[in-house]
Amino acid sequence: MALSLSPADAAKVALDPGQWGHPAGEACVSCHLKASSGLAAQWQASAHQRAGVNCMDCHQATAADADAREHEGQVIATIVSPKDCGRCHTQEFVEQQGSVHAEAYAIIKDRVPALAQNLTGAAVQAAGCDQCHGSLVKVRGDGSLDPATWPNSGIGRVNPDGSKGSCSACHGRHLFSKAQAREPEACVRCHAGPDSPDKEIFEASKHGMLYASQRDRMNLDAAQWVAGRDYTAAPTCVTCHMGAAGKLPATHDVGLRNAWSLNSPVSQRQLLVVLEDGGKLELPASAPVPKRGAEITKADGTLGKVKSVGTPERRRQAMSMVCQECHGKPFTDAFMKQFDAVVDLFNGKFAEPARAIMAGLYAQGRLTPLPFDEPIEFTYWELWHDEGARARHGAAMASPNHTWWEGMYLVGRNFYSRFLPQARAAAGDRSAALVDAQLTGDHHQWLTDPAAGNPILGIDIPLGTDAVEAPR
Amino acid sequence: MSRLGVPLFITRHVLIALVVGGIGGLTFAGFLLEFDRFTSRNAFCTACHSMTYAETAYQRSSHYNSASGVRATCGDCHVSPGMLAATWDHLIGGKDLLKQWFGPDYDDPVVNALLLPEAAFAARAWFRDRDSATCKRCHTMEAIQGKRADTAAIHREETAGKTCIDCHYNLVHRPVPDQSTFKRDAWNRMIEEEFGLAPGMAGQMMADD
Repeated sequence: MALSLSPADAAKVALDPGQWGHPAGEACVSCHLKASSGLAAQWQASAHQRAGVNCMDCHQATAADADAREHEGQVIATIVSPKDCGRCHTQEFVEQQGSVHAEAYAIIKDRVPALAQNLTGAAVQAAGCDQCHGSLVKVRGDGSLDPATWPNSGIGRVNPDGSKGSCSACHGRHLFSKAQAREPEACVRCHAGPDSPDKEIFEASKHGMLYASQRDRMNLDAAQWVAGRDYTAAPTCVTCHMGAAGKLPATHDVGLRNAWSLNSPVSQRQLLVVLEDGGKLELPASAPVPKRGAEITKADGTLGKVKSVGTPERRRQAMSMVCQECHGKPFTDAFMKQFDAVVDLFNGKFAEPARAIMAGLYAQGRLTPLPFDEPIEFTYWELWHDEGARARHGAAMASPNHTWWEGMYLVGRNFYSRFLPQARAAAGDRSAALVDAQLTGDHHQWLTDPAAGNPILGIDIPLGTDAVEAPR
Repeated sequence: MSRLGVPLFITRHVLIALVVGGIGGLTFAGFLLEFDRFTSRNAFCTACHSMTYAETAYQRSSHYNSASGVRATCGDCHVSPGMLAATWDHLIGGKDLLKQWFGPDYDDPVVNALLLPEAAFAARAWFRDRDSATCKRCHTMEAIQGKRADTAAIHREETAGKTCIDCHYNLVHRPVPDQSTFKRDAWNRMIEEEFGLAPGMAGQMMADD
């Protein structure tokens, strides 16, 4: 894996300027300064305009394109896909196509109906889920884009040309400002809210505090933006997950430096499998490491050939290189230890037992296979998907509040006061085998000593009170 | 010279011929005007069942429902202004009747929808060939204000070399892509979905017709 190749700068467009400046593109602007003038005015202020890249350079299409349409004598497409942007921004395109972002639709495609269709209704998919995960854009027979699938700029959008994702998920069109994309706000539309409160976590962290108070020293408009060299005031989301730092090159593969999966029922240290076709795949590190040249099924169901495999240690090393632009190595390593310990705690104390209990209840027919028709399914889902994710993200990005009150505190509360009682009720006479048998080990020992008082509740319990039985 | 000062070649027979011819001519012109008027009415056009599909979309358009109460009829848009041109259009339009009788089953809603794009392309070409003459019956370029801020400026400054239909298509009837980007397969799939037909049925129906 080329994690530590120089140069550390953003990729330059390698094409000759003769490749753009479409002759028909100049004519668009005069009319579009009158119709939808906002977007034309933004383009006028853009680096694209200064470089001579016009409307048609991005919006041109050939008649055979699925979403091609005639507009004022030109054949154009409304959607500018990553493949279109990739005509000039080749490296970014290749990195982005292989990223976990590009698979955001494919990864949840089979799961979404349980929430979007069953629990609520189809209408919410277009306006909710798909706006972050991306839609499978449908071009209707009359050439129009199906409003059930568009407008959409979700990061894993499946485009009519087959490419995945949407550059405008992060890069606001039509200004395409570097500074805007480097701001934490570029990520906020999706990385916020109960299940992935990364905006809130960043803001509550020391990094976010420094960013807010020293934003004028972030050098956000700089041509190159290498952490430790072009700015030192604070990191943003981009800095750690994508940005150049020291010798570490920038990347549009946003998950590259992530050693853990943090949004899964049980976190896994993950291998990054790089495929011959440029695609990538996350595999749990516990799985056998695939051999170079082996065939492997990708997230979208197609096959790919293994080119190389990045270990979680290597990925962690890349992330740590960013940290070490501002922190010492012992500091960085110790921080990572604190983070890993929270993930291991979540896994061992809550996630693994809860998953085993649920599996047992399903296997014994104590729960129906249909998700969300029984209250415990909400409890379990939120345990890992909401508060569990908050705790793990909070620890990863140094927000004590999210690690604890918004995260692990709720995991603990809901595990003991909701999940276990619901599980025991569902298990009925088999409660001991299906539920309590999973609660062995040190993690749950504290429950066996109900007489151990503590003043935390603010109540003085007189000594000599009859011991109560453990609430089993 | 006769007593009335009429030239000598105006004999009685010539005079009768002039009067009869004049009255005949006027009657014929009147007939044509009435004929054009009669055959331009919505009721006449939709006397064929096949045309009622076009009517359904039209009745939802602003050319049917306008706030001011102005309502364009079929003929207002699809028959040229002027008696002779209108008569000619009706003469040529006779081929539609022949197709209705001897051609594909346009009365079948599926066949009608499948063949709509070709009809739309022909209608657009017809408008273009006449420099959108029928639009201009009602719409005067200089008077277009619009409701949005720059509609007037766009019409004033951005329309050189263009005729109304170049921009304003898919205005009244069911939307059909421009011929340059039209995809028969995609259209057929859409119609099949709409009528609950098995994939491939549309192509089969078109081949049968």
